[in-house]
Amino acid sequence: MRLATPLIAAHEWRRLAVQPFAWVLAAVVVALMAWQFLLALEAFLTLAPKLGSLKDAPGVTDLVAIPLLRSFSNLLMLLVPLVAMRSIAGERRSHSLPLLLAGGVGNARIVVGKYSGALGYVVVLIVLVAAMPLALGIGTSLDLGRLLAALLGLVLFASALVAIGVMCSAWTSHPALAAASAFALTSLLAIVDAGARLQGVDNMGINYLALPTHIEPFFRGLVASVDVVYFLIVTAVALAFAAHRLDRLRSVAD
Amino acid sequence: MVIRQALEHCSPRPACRGAGGPEQSRPVNPAAPFATLSNVSRTLAGREVVKELDLEIRRGEVLGLLGVNGAGKSTTLRMLAGVLAPTTGTIRLDGADLYENPGLARRSIGYLPEVPPLHDELTVEEYLGFCARLHGLGRGTAEAVDRVIQRCDLGGVRRRLIGALSKGFRQRVGIAQAIVHEPDLVVLDEPTAGLDPVQTRNMRTLVEGLAIGHAVVLSTHVLPDVLASCRRVAILHEGRLCYVADTAAPSTDGILVRVRTARAMRREDWPTLRIAASATPLDDDDPRHWRVHLPVGLRIEALPAALVERGFGVEELRPEQAPLEEIFLAIAAGERPAVAA
Repeated sequence: MRLATPLIAAHEWRRLAVQPFAWVLAAVVVALMAWQFLLALEAFLTLAPKLGSLKDAPGVTDLVAIPLLRSFSNLLMLLVPLVAMRSIAGERRSHSLPLLLAGGVGNARIVVGKYSGALGYVVVLIVLVAAMPLALGIGTSLDLGRLLAALLGLVLFASALVAIGVMCSAWTSHPALAAASAFALTSLLAIVDAGARLQGVDNMGINYLALPTHIEPFFRGLVASVDVVYFLIVTAVALAFAAHRLDRLRSVAD
Repeated sequence: MVIRQALEHCSPRPACRGAGGPEQSRPVNPAAPFATLSNVSRTLAGREVVKELDLEIRRGEVLGLLGVNGAGKSTTLRMLAGVLAPTTGTIRLDGADLYENPGLARRSIGYLPEVPPLHDELTVEEYLGFCARLHGLGRGTAEAVDRVIQRCDLGGVRRRLIGALSKGFRQRVGIAQAIVHEPDLVVLDEPTAGLDPVQTRNMRTLVEGLAIGHAVVLSTHVLPDVLASCRRVAILHEGRLCYVADTAAPSTDGILVRVRTARAMRREDWPTLRIAASATPLDDDDPRHWRVHLPVGLRIEALPAALVERGFGVEELRPEQAPLEEIFLAIAAGERPAVAA
């Protein structure tokens, strides 16, 4: 019973691996990020002679690596709903959900298994993208502490997005609708404090709810427990809602 | 009379609730029940879909669950498969409460829903391997998959994608996933739905084979499926168990047999035998051919003995074929009074 979660996660991973969708998505993401990386690197190489004369001049980490990862975090908001949309909605659509429900596996374990499988795929994408700036370490010195903080932030950010994606996937039997609602929900969390910030409010409860409030410190190299806890709470709450929804689905699943 | 009694059992009286009433007239099966549903009810969306259901399933038997659409068959099967907990009542497997021991479902139950729960993007072998591990098989997974592929005759398609298989093979893969872990209880929801006659015949053969070593419950509204595959039948109507009997002679108050005597008999000869509750001629032109109703407690062997002793002889004796269709239709008509009228 304890092995059910990793089994479902591995199975989810396997199902993604045999679908052209996952490979095409990965190829498009890597190509897009590689293009951005090369543009940023070319700009850095152009600016490098001038930067050398400045005191405390920004390095390749500030001008190439972190902007690339920040750009990737924005892409994740679009990407993750596409990855997670089929996790439960796809099972319902193909009438295969009873296989899991009748397997004596609890709702929470099913949801965590699905979440882990989808998150594993997204983490691989993060590693592929991170390999680009990390490759610069061969020829120049990188601020590895800051890079690792940014990568930790990206993984936590992706974790929250995947959990929201799984939750939305549990709420409908249409994967496209699940993706759209997950995108809408994460977009809402991204701009929930935009109005308050325009009025100069940046330290209130509304700011705490916003995703950018908590991902930006990681890009600056700050790992604060409040930000880690935020992403963990979002992940846990979304997965709890998904598990609750799965319980309701037991009465109607065919 | 049988039909009337069946309908009487469908009334919402305590006596109607379980298999106990009708079963009392059947020969007692010495095998202890493997699965027991006791006073099980389930409410969905404010409607009581299954009502105070009592039912027992024994190892080595195939129980057919009959009922019109909406009678509560699928909900009953979901509860039995561990998918859906009953609102009230208990389901026990080998004496242990199913919903207090969810691991039981994993090890002991195989479930084929109405639509097979398949993963089209995987090969048959990959999919069955996952199902085996999901049900708790570890190192023996490869052997279990080989066994079930052989048993369900899937060898020719074991490396093909499930999405490319025909309906019949998909149904076989569905059954294979339900039995790959050798469960004690196999729950099949309309296993022959949508199959052509050849596939249906093959599926019946497969289901009959499952009864060896397993308890099998299948739901259907195809009566020939029940007569061909099931030892017992239970009819649900509006969520209530209305009728349980052996398919060989589903009478609720004794045994019905057809007999052809060597000598012609008259109606008044039967009371002198002091053995039959009633006897009716089956053919007005043939006074040797009778349908005989033997009362509860009387063994069938007593009939030919009495006939031979009184000199009438016996040329043929066989159980009355199940008037199952009549019973089923009568119960179904009870759901729609306008039709019954």
